[in-house]
Amino acid sequence: MAGAALCAASTLVNAEDNKQAEGKALYDANCGSCHQADGGGVPMLQPELIGRPRANGPIGGVIDMILFGSDAMAPNEGDYSNEMPPFDYLTDKEIALIATYVRTHFENKGGLVTSDDVKPRRTK
Amino acid sequence: MRFLLFCKLVYKLVLVGDDTKPLMVGRKAVLRNIFVIALMCVSSSVVADSSIKGVNAEAAVDAELGLRLPDGFKATVFADQVGRVRHIVAADNGWLYGALARPKDGMGAIALKDSDGDGVAEETIYFAKGLKGTGIGIYDGHLYFGTDVSILRWKLPESGEPKTGPELIAHGFAEKRQHAAKTFAFDGKGGLYVNVGAPSNACMEKMRTKGSKGMEPCPILEEFGGIWKFDASKTMQHQQKEGVRYATGIRNAVALDWNARADSLYVVPHGRDQLAEFFPEYYSVEDSAELPAEEFHKVAEGADMGWPYSYFDHRKGKRMMMPEYGGDGEKLSDRGQMPLVGFPGHWAPNDLLFLKSDALPEGYHLGAFIGFHGSWNRAPMPQQGYRVVYVPMDAAGNVTGDWITFADGFAGADVIKSPRDAKHRPMGLAEDAAGALYISSLMSGGRIWKITYEGN
Repeated sequence: MAGAALCAASTLVNAEDNKQAEGKALYDANCGSCHQADGGGVPMLQPELIGRPRANGPIGGVIDMILFGSDAMAPNEGDYSNEMPPFDYLTDKEIALIATYVRTHFENKGGLVTSDDVKPRRTK
Repeated sequence: MRFLLFCKLVYKLVLVGDDTKPLMVGRKAVLRNIFVIALMCVSSSVVADSSIKGVNAEAAVDAELGLRLPDGFKATVFADQVGRVRHIVAADNGWLYGALARPKDGMGAIALKDSDGDGVAEETIYFAKGLKGTGIGIYDGHLYFGTDVSILRWKLPESGEPKTGPELIAHGFAEKRQHAAKTFAFDGKGGLYVNVGAPSNACMEKMRTKGSKGMEPCPILEEFGGIWKFDASKTMQHQQKEGVRYATGIRNAVALDWNARADSLYVVPHGRDQLAEFFPEYYSVEDSAELPAEEFHKVAEGADMGWPYSYFDHRKGKRMMMPEYGGDGEKLSDRGQMPLVGFPGHWAPNDLLFLKSDALPEGYHLGAFIGFHGSWNRAPMPQQGYRVVYVPMDAAGNVTGDWITFADGFAGADVIKSPRDAKHRPMGLAEDAAGALYISSLMSGGRIWKITYEGN
């Protein structure tokens, strides 16, 4: 019984690791060139993602940026020259994986995001 | 042998002519041409490329100073913690002026003076309340300033900051975020040439979106993506009315200058980003780090530099079709002129300077200094290009040899993975009345170096 519980737990851990790896791969492919692999962004051009309010606050903060790009930002939010395109062609799952990666890395503690968190925000 | 070949080439160009210059005929013309050839051949034997060596790769970088120069040159930190300083210009009144990309204490420009001649400014004045910008320059007793949507000018004061309100010289530029900096150059004959960057990467239907095609023809070129010419002395000129599109196909030429000897405009535009991200089937991450080349162009009226339809591959030495327009990394393009030099990709040329004085060794008199801000779009490969280079040229404005690195070490580390790790990034270049050079950087609080030649 104890062994079965241990097995279940380790499967969960592996699943979580896989998600992290998938999230990182998606981040690198879609976000990394502008926001950089270390989340450091580019001074004056593209925001850094390290310790940012959107990645530590309400669940929609990062999801909306991915779905709508710069249009999700308030007029005076940030001070960066480049514009971010919408990535709404990614699936709910892909967006959830990227948002989770951003909200659990780069010194951010916003926590996990699921596909169910993404879906209703598409129509916002 | 090279010398003989050069003379033959000169003979061909001058006597036989090319497509752009009508042939001179008659005995007088022949005599004149022979004189020109003789003069050029003599001067070419004087201008030896060996007189410009570039930085010594073995020499240590002075970390505190933040740069490395060729032997015989000396640098001082002229001003530190000045703010986000972009282009700079030195006035004959002994003051150095700089445009600030972000206001400091509400002011968008800075004036600096070194009164005791120790290479360090003692006087600092911030001015231009409520403004911010990148372009700054001096012409005909006025200090010009480029915001993202206008060109202004003040009467150049005898000392310090302008004492009168600004005049609006050019306006009507659409307000954009991407590539909005209005940098400019003067031809010395009353013409003002303004960079109007394209608010786009490659004129894609959907901004920076994978799979999106390029628009044909690219509508952005009507209003952006080129150099617009204005009368430097007339007020209230609207880009779309009084402004004239002088050259096109230029994504964003933050770096531009007028070469007085060759009597021509030159530009070094920023090439497009993200080839591998959008077209992984055609470009490896290594290709995407190197391509497209940053292109150095001589720009005649009506010239087309090819953006967004083509880019230059400096490894192949060929102009290629842009993948948004059907290219695949191999297909060639005949749209856009060939550059004089192709530098490695994404180095971000942010200023170009032709010297007016002869204070530096002779090999530096005729060529082009180019300040590269350094890359952000070479990831996952290391970032590169945080340096100032020098391109040797002749009096006619032709490139005569390989470029050299004139200043490097700005980044503060050998390998830069993320641009924010670069301590300094070259931005603006200027030359003062005595022939000293200045380099600005907006990182780490903002710094300006003064560079003089001291000899060995």
